[in-house]
Amino acid sequence: MHIPDGYLSPQTCGVLTAAMVPAWYTASRRVGKVVKSRYVPLVAVAAAFSFLIMMFNVPIPDGTTAHAVGAVLIAILLGRWAAVIAVSIALLIQALFFGDGGVLAFGANAFNMALVAPFVGYAVYKAVAGSSSLTSGRRAIAAGIASYVGLNAAALAAAIEFGLQPVLFHTANGTPMYSPFYLRQTIPAMMLAHVTVAGFVEFAVTFGVFAYLQRANVPILRINHPDVAVTDAELQRRKLGWRWALIPIGVMVVLTPLGLLAPGGAFGEDAPQALDLGKYGLNAIPSGLEKFSSFWSHTLLGGYGFGSGQHPVIGYLLSAVLGVLIVGVVAIGVVWCIRLLQGRRGDGDGDGHQEPGEAPA
Amino acid sequence: MSEDHSAPSMGTPDWLIRGEVAMCPCGCIGKRKKGSFVEKTLNGTASIMRQAMFGDDMASRDGLLQRVDARVKVVALVGLLIVAALVRNIPVLIVMYLATLVLASASALPLGFFIKRVWLFIPIFTGIVVLPAAFSFITPGEIVVPLWTWNGHQVGLTNQGLTAVGLIVIRVATSVSLVVLVTLTTPWNKLLAGLRALMVPRIFILIIGMAYRYVFLLLNSVTDMYTARKARQVGNDQGQVKEGQRFVAATAGALFGKSHALSEEVYMAMVSRGYRGDARTLEGFRLTAIDFFFIAGCIVASVLILGGDHLVGH
Repeated sequence: MHIPDGYLSPQTCGVLTAAMVPAWYTASRRVGKVVKSRYVPLVAVAAAFSFLIMMFNVPIPDGTTAHAVGAVLIAILLGRWAAVIAVSIALLIQALFFGDGGVLAFGANAFNMALVAPFVGYAVYKAVAGSSSLTSGRRAIAAGIASYVGLNAAALAAAIEFGLQPVLFHTANGTPMYSPFYLRQTIPAMMLAHVTVAGFVEFAVTFGVFAYLQRANVPILRINHPDVAVTDAELQRRKLGWRWALIPIGVMVVLTPLGLLAPGGAFGEDAPQALDLGKYGLNAIPSGLEKFSSFWSHTLLGGYGFGSGQHPVIGYLLSAVLGVLIVGVVAIGVVWCIRLLQGRRGDGDGDGHQEPGEAPA
Repeated sequence: MSEDHSAPSMGTPDWLIRGEVAMCPCGCIGKRKKGSFVEKTLNGTASIMRQAMFGDDMASRDGLLQRVDARVKVVALVGLLIVAALVRNIPVLIVMYLATLVLASASALPLGFFIKRVWLFIPIFTGIVVLPAAFSFITPGEIVVPLWTWNGHQVGLTNQGLTAVGLIVIRVATSVSLVVLVTLTTPWNKLLAGLRALMVPRIFILIIGMAYRYVFLLLNSVTDMYTARKARQVGNDQGQVKEGQRFVAATAGALFGKSHALSEEVYMAMVSRGYRGDARTLEGFRLTAIDFFFIAGCIVASVLILGGDHLVGH
């Protein structure tokens, strides 16, 4: 899929390079924010890996071999923005030093393989993987499907770039100046090869590498999945986390009417009138106590019951449920405020972080 | 429990003991020998090394382009590639291609290699792919070589189609030659420094340079893993697609683990030497007389080419 020089008009190359400049800038800023000064070695080695993944010959059923591109794999392992830079640099090294892909067409190649493929692939990966655990089969399959779709998206982009050439650039007598095929020829030709063969090679490599890392090197997978549950058991635990907490709270709510059975008043909560004043050497209720003990009497459920004093058990239960709800809402509100403040401070989630839209499963 | 002995993991893998089907190098024993993925990968990694070493040898020769500053060459390359892309006439492009041959011999590059590198690539990639465009059903126009009639329509090679094929073949040849000229006459570190002239940020130059170094280090890891596999393999691995794919995936996964560990080590080594996240490069940029002559020559050539192209067009 490396487009050589001469196939695309300089105008097309210019437009696609111009489209890549903001992508490179954003990618550089985002990755730099997450990995700080680790940025240079991490991206450099990722680019070298990206270069090498295209060196691996993969056996395919007809007895020949093919090679994968690996852009989606890198997007899954290190994040989309890191993939933009790493794959671009791999493409640049190929174009400059090994004559694979054009120098003028570098922007176009980068657009197809370093921007379209990782972004489309990563979106598919997120959608298919859902909230599955890091070591689940579903996640490995998701990686494979994502690479298949990502590669085909890149091929489609290249086919469109090729197919527009004869329409936009031809001489007065209809001679195409660059790639001579029209969209109705380039799209079937490119897609046939990628849908039937190249896509499956990409699937095999991406799925295989992901499955291998699931077996052999889970910490590496955590680089880009810091908040995803590692095993199904952990996922189950996380899912149950708040539901488990509800059980003891519910039990306590049910047990609240037990207080009615207890004789006497709760320690230290006696009404001033019920105090044994003589015991403390007093002959009148202290004026402050008198005044403030009945300072607020506009309560909904005074004394954890209804004002009329009827149905004391229901009153207790209702008080408990209402109390739990109020405390819960306040607690959630406080946490939400803290998150909001934190989110504003660490604005711009990087690749190392979870996307804001998807809460940990 | 005893049934477990038949599990595949317990026995010797098939690829280890199966005999080679087509030992005959010409592949004449019925089955076409398509080459093992292991050997292909090893050949590929070796050819990367070979190309890099060859490039270093060429860059250290004493020739015309080797004396020109890398930045000047990089800017001239992009400029001339655009000129080559704008030309609309085959004869002008042929003149341009011949000019690259002259430059190659002036830069002490082996001409045979230079021509082969370009023309071995073109028939494989460009010739076959583009050839159908000469037919009237792809590129309609004035039919010069009528071939057959289909549904009452004349089918054949059109003037426009043949011109388009010729244009793209010679354009690709010229562009590839220009890139090869610059790549082979410039040491890789100078070439990267030359990218500064295209306003590539310094931090990217640093990253590309490191990536280029580590390609070769990691290439050794790949070669080791594949050589180890080849050493244990008696037969060929045709028909072992699943197993082969598993091996490739595991190798790539292991390589990623190694790469990541390597980047951590490199980072710590950089920090311990005082790296704080900003890139510095040594800049010794001085243009000499030959650089100015080269720039002037490129500008004059571009004007002549585009002017000539305009004249031929009329």
